[in-house]
Order: sequence, then structure tokens, then C-alpha cells
Amino acid sequence: MNAPAVQTHSTFDASEAAAACRAPVLRLSAVAKRYRMYRSDLDRLLEIVTGRPRHQDVTALSGIDLTVGHGEVLGIVGRNGAGKSTLLKLAAGLIPPSSGELTVNGRVAAILELGAAFHPDMSGRENVYLQAAIAGLERPEIDAVFAEIAAFADIGHFIERPVKTYSSGMSARLAFAVATAIDPHILIIDEALSVGDGAFARKSFDRIMAFRDAGKTILFCSHSLYHVEAMCDRVLWLHQGRAIALGATEEVLREYQAALDRLAIAAGCMDDRPEPAPGETQPPGRLVSVEASVDGVRGAPVRLRSGEACLSIHARFWVDPKLSAPTLGVGIQTVAQQPICGAISLHDGVQVHRDPSGFGQVTLRFPNIPLLKGLYSMHVYLLCERALHIYDRVVVERAVDVDQPGLSLGIGVISVPHRWSQD
Amino acid sequence: MRARALATALPRATADGLIRPLAALWQQRLLLALLLRREIVGRTSGTLFRAGWLLIGPALQVLAFWFLLDVVLRVRLPGHVVFLDYFLLGILAWFLVVEVLQRALGIFAEQAALYQRGDFPLVLLPLLPLVMATLVHGTLYLVVSTLLLGIGALPAAAAVLGLLFLLLLPASYLLAVLGHFLRDLRQLLPFLLTMGLYVTPILYTPDMLPAPLRPWLILNPFADIMALIHHLLQDMPVTIGNWLRPLTLWLALLGPAWLLFRRSEPHLRETL
Repeated sequence: MNAPAVQTHSTFDASEAAAACRAPVLRLSAVAKRYRMYRSDLDRLLEIVTGRPRHQDVTALSGIDLTVGHGEVLGIVGRNGAGKSTLLKLAAGLIPPSSGELTVNGRVAAILELGAAFHPDMSGRENVYLQAAIAGLERPEIDAVFAEIAAFADIGHFIERPVKTYSSGMSARLAFAVATAIDPHILIIDEALSVGDGAFARKSFDRIMAFRDAGKTILFCSHSLYHVEAMCDRVLWLHQGRAIALGATEEVLREYQAALDRLAIAAGCMDDRPEPAPGETQPPGRLVSVEASVDGVRGAPVRLRSGEACLSIHARFWVDPKLSAPTLGVGIQTVAQQPICGAISLHDGVQVHRDPSGFGQVTLRFPNIPLLKGLYSMHVYLLCERALHIYDRVVVERAVDVDQPGLSLGIGVISVPHRWSQD
Repeated sequence: MRARALATALPRATADGLIRPLAALWQQRLLLALLLRREIVGRTSGTLFRAGWLLIGPALQVLAFWFLLDVVLRVRLPGHVVFLDYFLLGILAWFLVVEVLQRALGIFAEQAALYQRGDFPLVLLPLLPLVMATLVHGTLYLVVSTLLLGIGALPAAAAVLGLLFLLLLPASYLLAVLGHFLRDLRQLLPFLLTMGLYVTPILYTPDMLPAPLRPWLILNPFADIMALIHHLLQDMPVTIGNWLRPLTLWLALLGPAWLLFRRSEPHLRETL
């Protein structure tokens, strides 16, 4: 077995920082991680004492070569058990590699399990100091950032009360504030884009985006391909501990999505489809109503003839007036949840307007919509101004019933312009 | 081959087993202080007297022993030493030892949330029960020593605490690892400690033991430690063996305990 090597540098001086701008922030060379499985803890202890192996290896990662540069945002995708969390833990220094070489240049902040290490009987303030000290900050440094942490978490006088009196959202807010307040060179995020309640979820998301804009290196692991695509410069696709692809975001995600689709079709379901961020109790925006109409006639479902009618989707929404104007997104899917088509106002260059109280209404029209015979569902999203953070989502199953003359089932779901000829 | 490698590593590990924990104690003093605070809050949260219970608990135990041995049984020692002084200075030191050994056994399991989700210096954890017990029981020890023997006894009492801290250092690392992977020890230790109290000259002096039993005391390192404590504080007689036996055992444990801890570090982080 190769001797694993891990090098981390948690403090920088000015010259090192300048050098770091040129040097890779994270480098993995032929890195593998094997977890040791034992029949009992006694076997583990005997192996530690005697040095004689008494375990079976379970490979979590193998042959990973990866270099992440300064200011790069790397997305990591893969199904459950692909090795994503193991890779993040290696980068965060929580576990050593079994073989290969791992080099980390800079201070790492990992948002893995928010609030898990908080002590319920200690106050928020005491927990902040403890977590910051664990992250390597000295007392004057913690004193300096404490006010900012408290302000960002925005939990008021609760900061002086025991954490056991917090709601789960408050606890997560405080944990997120601590994790991101230590000015890391590398930020590791594992499915933590939506933290606490709706307003804070957006706030936390904005802070992550600010990290990106400030040129910090981010490792971002998520099942939400939408977020990965929106944030990442490159994507690493892991499958069963191996790197399947590493490259440009669009390219890798296309391949990954295709693989997911193949799996879903084979399984007859879509249970591994990426889900939007977890639900929010107090979203900063919501969809008030969603309706479909065909040539001005509303219904549930609306009925139309393929290629002959204009399908309109009307969405009425409310977004906190203090926030920027939102983005609306609409998707049409088959009843088997196969996406067919859609549109996002931001990407179409459409500015969505609201009245001063925050209410607004948009209509998306599909003239002569070329859907083929069948039932279709309608997915409407209310998103932030950057079309990244989901405020609300409404799914109307079997919203559109398409009819067409002649036989059509089994030849697809959409009719593209075509012409027959015979030479 | 392995034996040769071990023989090469042991001298270095013996030095590291003393130096590295002490260095961590200094370098990570803020984190350690916060962990101590966490420990105190966790143990006394919701009680009326809060952290006061850390001192009240052992003080009440001392009171109970005093009532039984001095008031009810009227135990008296031969010679000039007052039994109550002898007993209190021994039992309080014993409480410290018990606290360290018991808490060390479960420290890695108790604090798993700290090191399995963050880059936490594991070297601090076995120090936590040691520092905690020294602070709590040490405070009581200094107070009681002063009350019994006068203010002049303070340096000697502080020396006793320092001695106990250093002697218990390898034991704390050793038990922290063994207790994590061999949890049966946590069931067995209370019995062993109860037996330890009876076979260690705390409730009696060595010369109160029947003559045929006295030679067996050399097998009990705590008997030597008690002899040293009473020598330092009460000027009771001590032999060179009382110094050499615990010192030898301490030196013999430092290296293996440190090696065991270092080898178990990746295992501790992986045991999810």
C-alpha cells in the first residue's frame, strides 16, 4: 500500500497568499479512500495494537486525480454512494486518504452538517466561540467576527440563550453564519444551499455567491443539477468511487443527466431525479395561483389540438417587495415526468414586474404548441432574480390534454417541422 | 521485524507521549478552556447550584466518609498523624484519580460530534478529563489541605496535584483508546475502582494491614502514590521503592499509550 500523503496549510502570509493565487488550492493525485470494516471493535483494537490486518476494505474512492485552482467553483455530482461525501471529507481534512497524494493550500471551511456539533446547554455565543476556536481562530479574531456572525444569523437576544431553546432553523442559521465567517480560502458545501427558513435560505445563498464572486475556491456537492449548472465552472461526476467525467459544467451535466434518464427509464420511475431545495416555512416569495388556458379558455385540464392552439400559462405571485424582481420558470412534462420543454424569464431576457405590495402576474404563451397526443403536467417555479434560489414551486399534474387526429402514440411527444420527399 | 520497529519507535514515542500533550495543552488553551466550559455546563445544566455541584458532590462524599470513620467508628491511627487528615488527603486524591480514569474511558464516544464533523485536534480529548478533574478536585484539594495543614501546605498540595496530573497522563490516553474500542471496560472499571479503594491505603495506613498482606502492596501503584502524597504533605515515611515503582510504570506506559493513540486516530475519525 502506498503511504498516503496529506499536506495542509492553514495559515498564509502575504507572499504565500500571492503564490497561492498561482498554485492549485486543492490537488489530488491517484487518491483512494478505503474504509476498513471489522467484525467487531475488538478486531479493530487488535489491528491497531498488533498492526496485523483484521479488516475488509470497502472502497469509497479510487484513482482520483483532480486539481482545483484558486477561485474555481467545482461541482461534484453522482448518485448516493458515489463517493461525494468522502471526497469532501478528504478535502476538509476530516479523514486521511488510504493512498495517493492530497494537497490542500489554505484554510478550509466545510458546511457538512450544520449545527451538529452545537452543545444544546450552551448559549449561542458560547457555541460560536467554541466552533470558531475549533476552526482555528484565536480569541481576538473571534471577538472581531462575533458581531458579524450574530448579525448575519439574526436571532436577536437568543444568541445569549441555550441552543436547546432554538428552533432547528435558528440553529442552522447560526451554524451557517459561523462556518462562513472564518474567511476560508476553500469553502466546501454539501447540500446546504437552503438553510433555515425562506428568508435566511436566500441570505445564505447570497453569501455563498459572494464567496464565488470574491474568487474563493468552492467545492459544491449537490443533487440539484440546476444549482450545479448555475454556480460551477467545472463538474466532477463520481460513480461508485470513480471519476466518470471531469470537465466543463454543461458537458459533464449533459452526460450525467443522460445517465440519470437511462436509469429512470430502466427503473420505470424517476426517484433519483434532482429535487429542488428543501421546503421553506416562510418563503420570501410564493405562487398565489397557477392556471392554464387554451385560446382564452381556462380548464383543468385544458384541452387542445396538437399544433393548432395557443397554450397560455398564467402565474400570479407575491415576492417580498424588499427583494429584487423574481424570475418565473415554467416546464412541461409528460405524466411520466419526462421534461419536454420550458422557459425561464431571466434567460429569455424578460424583466418581471410587481406592484409596490409585491404582487405580480405573468403569462407564458406557447403558440401552436406542437405537443403530440397525451396528458402533460405543468411545473411553475418562482425563483430569485438570478434564477438560482427557488422560492416556490407548483406542479399541476395532467394540466394539459392534447388530442390530434390520426395515430400518434408511441412516436414521441412533440412534433418537429418535417417534410417527406421521394427522389 | 515488527518488534524491532517498535523498539526503535518507543523511545521517541515516550518523549512524544509527554511533550505532545503538554504542547497541545498550551497551544490549544483557548479551545481547551471552551471545552471545559462546555463540559461544566453540560454536567450541571438545569441544577440550582450549577457548577457549584462539581465541588459540592465530592465534598458531600467526604462528609459521609468522615461521619462513618471518625464519628461512628472512631478510627484512630497509631503515631502522631491525625486520621481525619490522613483520610481526607488520601480520599480526595483518590476521587481525582477515579474521575480521570472513568471519564477517559468514554471521552471519544462522548465527544464524537466534535471530531467527526470538523477538523478537531483529537489530542485534546484525553486531556479534557485530566484537566477537568485537576481543576475541580484540585481546587477542593488545595482548600482542604490548607484548612487541615495550614497555608504552608499549599506548595506541597500543588506538587501533589502536578504529580497526579503527570502520572495520570499516559493512563488517560491509554484508557481513552481502549475504552472506545473495548466498551466492556466501561462496565468493569467501576468494580475495579471500588476494589482499588479497598486495597489502597486510604481508609487505613499500610502498617494497619496484617503483616502477611503488606508485601503485596508493591503490586498496587496507587499504594505507592498514596505513600508519596502523605510523604509530601504529612512527612510520613517513604521508601525509594515508592518513588521508583510508579516512575517506572509511568515511563513504561508513556510510549505505548502515545503510539496507541496515534495509531487509533484515523480509526476514531472513521468510526461513524
